[in-house]
Amino acid sequence: FLHPPPSWDVEETLKRLQSQKRVQVIMVVNTEGIPIKSTMDNPTTTQYANLMHNFILKAWSTVREIDPQNDLTFLQIRSKKNEIMIAPDKNYFLIVIQDPTE
Amino acid sequence: MTPGKHSRASAGAADAGRKGRPSTPPPVATMPTSPGNSRKQQNLWLNVGPQAKKSISFINTARGGFTKSYVGANQSRMAMSKTMTILPEIKTEKMNISTPKTVIQVMFLRILNDVTPRPLYRPDPHMGTAKPNKLLTSQEGSYASDYISSYSLYQNTLNPSILGQFTRSVLGSSTVTKSSVSTTESIAEDLEEPSYKREKLTSFTDLRVVRATPEKVVTKEDLQKTIEITLTETETLRFFNLPTIMISVESEEAEKLLRRNKNYETLCRNRLGNDLYVERMMQTINGAPKNKDVQCDKIIKEDKGVMSSTWDLYDSYNAMELSSLAAKQSMLESTSRASIPPKDREQRMPGSTIEKSSEASSLMDIENVILTTIHEDEEDHSETILKSDKFRQDLFFMERVLMENLFQPKLAAYRQLRILKEPGTEEPADFLKSKKLEESQEEGKKEEEEEIEISTEQSTIPAILERLWSFSCDLTKGLSVSSLAWNKINPDLLAVGYGHFGFKEQKRGLACCWSIKNPMWPERIYQSPYGVTAVDFSIGAPNLLAVGYHNGTIAIYNVQSNSNVPVLDSSESPQKHLGPVWQLQWIEQDRGTTGDDKREILVSISADGRISKWVIRKGLDSHDLMRLKRTTASSSKKGGEMEKKGEALISRQAPGMCFAFHPKDTNIYLAGTEEGHIHKCSCSYNEQYLDTYRGHKGPVYKIAWNPFCHDVFLSCSADWGVIIWQQENTKPFLSFYPTTYVVYDVAWSPKSSYIFAAANESRVEIWDLHTSTLDPLIVNVANPGIKFTTVLFAKQTDCLLVGDSDGQVAVYELRNMPTALDSGRVRLT
Repeated sequence: FLHPPPSWDVEETLKRLQSQKRVQVIMVVNTEGIPIKSTMDNPTTTQYANLMHNFILKAWSTVREIDPQNDLTFLQIRSKKNEIMIAPDKNYFLIVIQDPTE
Repeated sequence: MTPGKHSRASAGAADAGRKGRPSTPPPVATMPTSPGNSRKQQNLWLNVGPQAKKSISFINTARGGFTKSYVGANQSRMAMSKTMTILPEIKTEKMNISTPKTVIQVMFLRILNDVTPRPLYRPDPHMGTAKPNKLLTSQEGSYASDYISSYSLYQNTLNPSILGQFTRSVLGSSTVTKSSVSTTESIAEDLEEPSYKREKLTSFTDLRVVRATPEKVVTKEDLQKTIEITLTETETLRFFNLPTIMISVESEEAEKLLRRNKNYETLCRNRLGNDLYVERMMQTINGAPKNKDVQCDKIIKEDKGVMSSTWDLYDSYNAMELSSLAAKQSMLESTSRASIPPKDREQRMPGSTIEKSSEASSLMDIENVILTTIHEDEEDHSETILKSDKFRQDLFFMERVLMENLFQPKLAAYRQLRILKEPGTEEPADFLKSKKLEESQEEGKKEEEEEIEISTEQSTIPAILERLWSFSCDLTKGLSVSSLAWNKINPDLLAVGYGHFGFKEQKRGLACCWSIKNPMWPERIYQSPYGVTAVDFSIGAPNLLAVGYHNGTIAIYNVQSNSNVPVLDSSESPQKHLGPVWQLQWIEQDRGTTGDDKREILVSISADGRISKWVIRKGLDSHDLMRLKRTTASSSKKGGEMEKKGEALISRQAPGMCFAFHPKDTNIYLAGTEEGHIHKCSCSYNEQYLDTYRGHKGPVYKIAWNPFCHDVFLSCSADWGVIIWQQENTKPFLSFYPTTYVVYDVAWSPKSSYIFAAANESRVEIWDLHTSTLDPLIVNVANPGIKFTTVLFAKQTDCLLVGDSDGQVAVYELRNMPTALDSGRVRLT
């Protein structure tokens, strides 16, 4: 059950996600750090993207170093104030920042 | 050399050259002596006799002198020269052109015995100048000028070295190798040549020209002529002379040698103070050194470093295997896309050189383009990203993760894990770790049970239904839930059918697949113009979902596929139901008669009074299992029914509302009708009922067998009642009339045989027969305006799903339930 049906719209889902409680930011950046889509202002998005980039690469190389056939699929960084969830891909990063408190 | 030798040679010549090689020269003393033993060499051509080294004797007959001693070289040369002058005349006379045959014969012998060392230097036979051989000028021979020229060349080159001992041998060998015909002659020529050369170095070219002409003079007559051949012995050839440094004391020379040695010793002794010997420095002439520089092209060096990591190596190996495909693809892609992806690939796979080269070349092309249109490219690229499948998938996961975060405590309760109060160390239910959950669930269960036991012993905490969350979304608002079904394989997947219960309104219907992991939005949505009345997942093919509609059609959807179109549809089937399909169930039936394995069939019951089974062969094929006839009360019971028999009934079919197959024996099933009767039927008989249970006064909405005790079943109906029956008894065993509302649904708890849930219009009740048969254990009152329509237990957890008329499926957790003490056999009192 891993593939969403074609009726499943990207835009709609993004709206749904954004309207969820406690979701602060959703952004999609490409591998250069240039934001493609973001609900936040550009400088902050770029800053996040740049910082994430190194971290993601490190995590990715760590996973692959242990087993080259493995691959990184998801990253979650939970901090006191928020939780950053990253879905990395070859071409882009999908980053969602959520407020973890109840 | 003396004439004596001469004579000897001549005598030898008479042998027609059959002699082989003479013995090797004997060891020669340090003092130059005349060659003791001369090597006799048969020379066909030359009447050149052996010549003494020292003697400048006049030789009558022209004979080449082969003097080998080093000392005598000069002398011999001189002698040679002298003889040479004489030779021409003589030779012209005596130069014979032998018939080819004899020549060859003799030559052949020579070759066999020839041990002359091969020359180190072999000049091009066609390059050399003609020999200034006067002998040959007169000769009309079969000797090609080229041969001769080659020899002349030899002489040219070897002139300086003739002084050495080896010259003769070299020359001789050269002649042998060059031609088989004229070796002897050439040797003779060799002998002659040097002198000529030395004398007439300048006149070679002239001679050559001269030489060419006489060749043509050769006529056939000349060839036919008989020719006299004189064989003479040649001079001894000395090839190697190693003078000894030791002499026997008894030899003649010993005395001389001793004297000499003594002299030398005295000399050495006297050297120091002797005036005769003075040490003096001498300046040698050093050659002027010259520095020569060579410049080459600059060697371009490049430093390149790579951090080789495990994944890098793996990627490189994989990339090399797929390099041919990848190169093409990357070429295509890089030309069409922006430079970002190629660079990205370079980052990821720095080890693959082939890809790099192809990308580099394409990058070069695109670079300029990129600089100008970089903005547009990026935009395009971002569009493709957003539309890519992967992105959608990632969003999909992201949503689930978000949900998991939001509903974390609820989900944890559902999965019976500890709830995190704060961001703690324990991991919450994660969709990536769902498998682990299965294992930990059991542990959790045990813990919960223990806790409950302890709690019940200590204090009586009432059991409650705690609402965790509810599945609902905008789409489902306003519809009422008509049926619920779990997926047989994936315990997180739930199918919900939405429709309208009002018979007048036929609004749209919806069948949704929900996942526990995402309570906010269904995974699959199948819309239809008719209300959905029944859903069920297949057992054998868990991706198939059967949906029954209010108009009687049955559709089968493949949940795994992305399409919204049903795989199979019974709308065109001639045997389709004419009334709403109230219940669907997939049954695995033994086909004992045909000997097949368990075949799965879809059984449906509908308001047109037919229970039919559907088999998926090429389409949906259906058979009627049973036609529900309107039964009348048996005459024994009510006599007043006789009239009814005579009544003209509009339809003899009783609308079926529900059915339930026996859990053990899939041949037997119970069917509930709108009349309120429950019929026990068998698949083998499709005409008659086995039994009829009468107890309900209104349509029976649900029948359920007890999962633990197979003789007991439960039924609920619109007459506000829930009745427990025993299989053998057609009379109700226990009946419950808790409220004055229609009971829409009942379900047994999978955990305990005493517990069942009932949903009526206003509330959900959990009954525990073990505790009490008069009152329900838990009562959960619905919000006003909402009716509870369906009830379903969750298998692994203590949760209950309740569907209501507002399109919500609420998940409740049963808390503090009393545990079952024994296996659950209902005691029949």
